[in-house]
Amino acid sequence: MAYLLHHLLAASAARAPGRTAVAAGERSLGYAELDRLSNRVARALLAQGVAPGDRVGIFAPKSAAAVVALFGVLKAGACYVPLDPKSPAGRLAAIMTDCGIAVVLADRASAAQAAALAVSVPGLRAVIEAGPHWGREAAAGTTPPEQAPVPPATVPWEAVLAEPAGALGPDLAIDTDLAYILYTSGSTGAPKGVMISHRASLTFVEWATACAGLDERDRVASPAPLHFDLSVFDVFAACGVGACLAVVPENTAIFPARLSQWLERERVTVWYSVPSVLTMLATYGNLRGHDLSGLRAVIFAGEVFPVKHLNLLLAELPGARYLNWYGPTETNVCTWYEVPSGAGRTAPVPIGKACANMDAFAVTSGGDRVAKPGEEGELYVRGSGLMRGYWGDQDKTRRALVPNPCQPAYDEPAYRTGDLVTLDDEGNFVFLGRRDGMVKTRGYRVELGEVEAALYAHPAVREAVVLPVPDELLGSRLRAVICAEGSGGLSREEVLDHCRRRLPGYMVPDIVEFLGSLPRNSNGKVDRARLAGHEG
Amino acid sequence: METVINDYISREVVQDAALLPLGNATSLLETGILDSLGLLRLVVFVQERFGVTVDDVDLIPEHFESVDSICAYLRSRDGEGAGRAVGHG
Repeated sequence: MAYLLHHLLAASAARAPGRTAVAAGERSLGYAELDRLSNRVARALLAQGVAPGDRVGIFAPKSAAAVVALFGVLKAGACYVPLDPKSPAGRLAAIMTDCGIAVVLADRASAAQAAALAVSVPGLRAVIEAGPHWGREAAAGTTPPEQAPVPPATVPWEAVLAEPAGALGPDLAIDTDLAYILYTSGSTGAPKGVMISHRASLTFVEWATACAGLDERDRVASPAPLHFDLSVFDVFAACGVGACLAVVPENTAIFPARLSQWLERERVTVWYSVPSVLTMLATYGNLRGHDLSGLRAVIFAGEVFPVKHLNLLLAELPGARYLNWYGPTETNVCTWYEVPSGAGRTAPVPIGKACANMDAFAVTSGGDRVAKPGEEGELYVRGSGLMRGYWGDQDKTRRALVPNPCQPAYDEPAYRTGDLVTLDDEGNFVFLGRRDGMVKTRGYRVELGEVEAALYAHPAVREAVVLPVPDELLGSRLRAVICAEGSGGLSREEVLDHCRRRLPGYMVPDIVEFLGSLPRNSNGKVDRARLAGHEG
Repeated sequence: METVINDYISREVVQDAALLPLGNATSLLETGILDSLGLLRLVVFVQERFGVTVDDVDLIPEHFESVDSICAYLRSRDGEGAGRAVGHG
């Protein structure tokens, strides 16, 4: 019985050692090879003093090396923390310090960058290379700058390969231990680390495998990077059935025609991404010019799929099943809906019904459970798929994981999603909007408060408000309204430059405006509704 | 034309200040400057600004590698008579 994520790999490696586990361009990795290499990585981690429960950073794009690395971490009984090499250094250092990362695994191209970053992270012991340059050469000029503090030791891949490749012996974790921490936007300015246990992840993976009907013939692909929870599906669900994870090459998902070529060439059977990539594919991908008859399931999550673009996709690619999966990082996927075939849909796509072994229910503002179509309430989720909480933040955890309001007899945690929903006539939940200041842009969650906090860090910003502007493709664009100190002098470019140094790109405001003062309501609070009504 | 496109990308697409100022020959792909939505916004911009239609078959890395390659692509479109530059790009 699989009760730890890496049991999925052990089972597939025993059953089908020669099958391809990861296909990444020229480099492909069989199940036995993945199993043995990740054993070596686990031993290299143990040799660095990594103990069960320790956090290990993974500093690499999704790749064969990264998959080896994350299984190595799990086998060592540790918890992996994906670090996006494209994030600003300051944010990465804050994340690494927040959860006390002991060791970083980096692919060779990123190792020097990781070592330079590690200097500013107290307690970080080593950077270990995960894999040689499989498909990615080190960019010129990435040698670490001369730093006064001594960077942590870098363990070369050759030393990892010198570790024994056999299985490690008794498990070093139990299913309630953390498998990974995914950092998402936090309302107070600091990113929050969502802690996911093996049990929670497997609850999702087992349901997802059945829902998508995965088997070993499948070739599963998703452009989602490892720090985005969509990647849990292609990495672990594919592994569990002995299917192939096809790594989308960098930049391929950007160019729709390239993506359709790649999907055809790689014979991808199951695709999982945010809707905006599919919108681009349907609009510019020349889907009819390619043989995509093997693509049997198209799954999307992360934001609302505009019906107009979904209809186009259904018309261009009529042979596939279309699944809408819903769930914040804190719950994994918790509801789902299969889009009926045929274009011409006008109603928004529901988020659907609860997944197997999960329960989702909505509670009205009066505290009653939403039972009839048309009633509105906030969505709550309970079940084994829930997160353990936010790393190092019990207060935030208590506000998110609340006692189930519908279970007075005993304590049971339920996750308050903050999403307002209603029921349709078929009993599906339909997403209406947010209760708070969180918006989605490009499939990423953004707390408006975090962007505001970054703006306030500029000495010339007296007041700042960030508002979402609905955008068909992006979900929301971010509009910053700023009152500057003194008589002007603060430019749009200065504000953007300031934000880019502190925030990942998807959180940098798209629109920057300056006002002499902000409108206020009778309580003295900034009148967001009035500001929203006076766009541009 | 280079200045107009460099300005647009620097203002609207670049997400990491460490990459500015942006050189016209700098790779927009290796640096991660361009993502799928960045590309879409850029295409909408050049279509409006230069009055050309970018066909889906032209949405390839070779044409969007750098500011220079975008301009070379747009000029080749102009040469075909596919569009006329609007304004003073």
